[in-house]
Amino acid sequence: MVSENVEEYLECIWGLTQKGSPAKTKEIAERMKVSPASVTEMMQKLADMGYVNYEKYKGVTLTERGTEIGAKIKRKHRLLERFLVDVLGLKNEESHEEACRLEHTLSDESEKRICHMMNNPETCPDGDPIPKCKDDCSLCMSEPSVPLTDVVKGDKAVITHLVCDDTVKMRRIISMGIVPGRTLCVEDRLPMGGPIVLMIQDCKIALAKDYAAMVHVSPTGRCDRR
Amino acid sequence: MKDEVLVALLGHPNVGKSVVFSKLTGVSALSSNYPGTTVEFQEGRVVHEGVKIDIFDLPGTYGLTGVSEDEKVATKLLAEKNPDCVVVIADATRLEPSLVLTFQVLELGYPTILVLNQMDVARKRSTIDVNRLSEVLGIPVVPTVAITGEGLDEVVELISKAGGRRSDFSVAYDSHIEDILRSLSDLLPDWAINHPKRGALLKLLEGNEFFLEKFSEGLKAKVEAEKNRFEAHHKEAIEVHMNRDRYGEAGRIISEVISPIPRKMSRRERISELSLRPWPGIPILALVLLGVFSMVVFVGAYIETVFVSVYQDATGGFFDWMALSIGGDLGAALSAGLDLTMMSIVAIVIPYILLFYLVLAALEDTGYLPRVVILLDSVMQKFGLNGRSVIPMIVGSGCNVPAILATRVLGSRRERLILSSVIILAVPCGAQTVVILGLVGSYGSIYHVAAIYAILLALIVITAWMMHRLMKFEPIGLMIEVPDLTVPRLDNVLSKTYHRVKDFFIIAFPILLVSSIALELLMQYDVLDAMVDPFSPITVGLLGLPAVTIIALIFGVMRKEMSLQLLVVLFGTADFALAMTVDQMFVFSLVMATYVPCVSAFSVMFKEFGLKDSSKVIVGSIFISFMLGGLANFVLGLF
Repeated sequence: MVSENVEEYLECIWGLTQKGSPAKTKEIAERMKVSPASVTEMMQKLADMGYVNYEKYKGVTLTERGTEIGAKIKRKHRLLERFLVDVLGLKNEESHEEACRLEHTLSDESEKRICHMMNNPETCPDGDPIPKCKDDCSLCMSEPSVPLTDVVKGDKAVITHLVCDDTVKMRRIISMGIVPGRTLCVEDRLPMGGPIVLMIQDCKIALAKDYAAMVHVSPTGRCDRR
Repeated sequence: MKDEVLVALLGHPNVGKSVVFSKLTGVSALSSNYPGTTVEFQEGRVVHEGVKIDIFDLPGTYGLTGVSEDEKVATKLLAEKNPDCVVVIADATRLEPSLVLTFQVLELGYPTILVLNQMDVARKRSTIDVNRLSEVLGIPVVPTVAITGEGLDEVVELISKAGGRRSDFSVAYDSHIEDILRSLSDLLPDWAINHPKRGALLKLLEGNEFFLEKFSEGLKAKVEAEKNRFEAHHKEAIEVHMNRDRYGEAGRIISEVISPIPRKMSRRERISELSLRPWPGIPILALVLLGVFSMVVFVGAYIETVFVSVYQDATGGFFDWMALSIGGDLGAALSAGLDLTMMSIVAIVIPYILLFYLVLAALEDTGYLPRVVILLDSVMQKFGLNGRSVIPMIVGSGCNVPAILATRVLGSRRERLILSSVIILAVPCGAQTVVILGLVGSYGSIYHVAAIYAILLALIVITAWMMHRLMKFEPIGLMIEVPDLTVPRLDNVLSKTYHRVKDFFIIAFPILLVSSIALELLMQYDVLDAMVDPFSPITVGLLGLPAVTIIALIFGVMRKEMSLQLLVVLFGTADFALAMTVDQMFVFSLVMATYVPCVSAFSVMFKEFGLKDSSKVIVGSIFISFMLGGLANFVLGLF
């Protein structure tokens, strides 16, 4: 478990290193509203924990693990801002404060749900007053959807959308409960182009390839073993 | 309180709705562990403490969108009958989709009761807070176990005392959808439709045909425009979005009222899982199919022998007496016709068809059939059919009549026609099997029998493939719910078999009787004998058979199974080895197996596909069967 403070630092460094050069201790201190000395101390700690590469006078870059956490927190922050403004109707300034607090406690699952619920990136309305809307959307897009046919056996995924020109087929898919937002598990893929066997909640459904290709999903790891 | 209540039963396929209906009303409804058994609706009545409750059972449906056939029937009947109460039957082990259906019923303003069926299984898997669910939905919720009758008294009690409850529960849709609903609602100040405005407008947005009729062209155009705008904005069709919201709501309720009990998979579930895997699923499948086949063929043959001797002992002399008392050729024809019809029931219907239906009913109730469909889907796809075609083909090995009716499970007419042709041409029905086994089986060798079945199998593959190529349409893929395996219940298996055999009698018996008597008359007046010589180029020339076999072949159009008995009469001996060589028997069996089906099968084809297409199939099958017979005769002549 990473402490909120560590997360906050990593988020900040992630933002500063986006321009392509290492982050300076001074910049970090300004952003975090702390003294440069405590930043230096913190950087040593983070380096020991394996989140940053820190060389005195050259600055700070994130390790792979550090980047992962920093980017995730930033994504949650921006996503929450949009959620608070778009859906709950908070003011911009308020949303920033609130998002700063919530970003550390928001679970990955909820983050994903909010992301799907707001149907990113397309729902970014033109002329949206929220800054960096495009950024947010692309962050949300970091897990692109794939057709269900590409999901391997034993993986679970959230249905993102249906790609289908034929209304009759689309309605058949919906009527079986294959609806965006629901989580499914690919239990089996029958050989020779056979159907894909899915588990959605407690329903087991076999779906031919042509239907499966219409269902787009975003993979979320391995299925829970029963 | 009214003393007459009209109640509709609604639910997904395969939730045990038919069982609830039978238990409530005492009227038997067909139920299977296979989706789509209730095609039309059934009615029954129960009287409870002076209140007459009329119950009608709607076909199993996944929703009330009114798109697929079952949904159309369900929405239409609901609107026409306008029941006082809708009882939604849910499968407690998979509650979410049933909740979505319930939402739709509530939106349409029906007083509703939710029944959680199969609670016995559900209790082992999770704890369901029934009271909380009832509170959230605002309607009575009753847990039941329909097969044992648990909870059904309470359902009846509720219906007769309180009725269902209307609930103002409603799904909170996306704010855009809510905006559309509000703006449409403002356009319609005068409301004359027998449903809440919101519910009817939702149906309108979903494109339900039945509701579309109720609104003006102007409003429909406006709705269309709103839908397009929604889709452009959200990059998602409004129906998809509405269902996204419904399932979201259902998921939320589920997480509130259901807590799963941690447990290991039961043995039954493990077997359910394994039977679906290619390994060991496919070997199991082969064993099951082989088991069904040998059960019908070998056990059937044994029962036939016993029954026929009993029948002959019991009726001995009666038909002679009947012929004499009516007198003349007419008397002989009538009595022989009746005798042969009765005989075929004793020799074919009871041993083979009854047995076959028993096995089929048991197999259906285990929930194994969807697994057959899924495992064979990829192979069937190669021939332009999908896995669902396997069921009619299995049924066809009993009798072609129900098999052609069973093709209804396939989506398109095209697939149905391909499959029906394949069944008629190449799937040997019980009667055809009797001919094959009675001739080459008894007088030839196992290799002869195997050769005939190999040819038939090849014929299935080639015909399906050719028709698939010739008829260019896109085949519809497979989408099927997979139930858990269960142990079939004897009473359900028996009542189902009874209904099917009854149907068979109603369709086939009159045709059998009339055609038997007609043929007997033709025989008595020597009309058939006159055909022997003109047809000899085909029988003798092409097929290398004795000329008299033409009579058996013509007879075969009416009733295949009797052609063997007829051969006995024609040859004047029951030992076919004296009259035909094994090669001739092989050719005769092959022709019989591929030759036109009986009159009953033709009449069903005609009913389902019209004169033009069914004639093509019939003429085609006669042609192919003679060509095959000729070819076999030629090849056998080479050795």
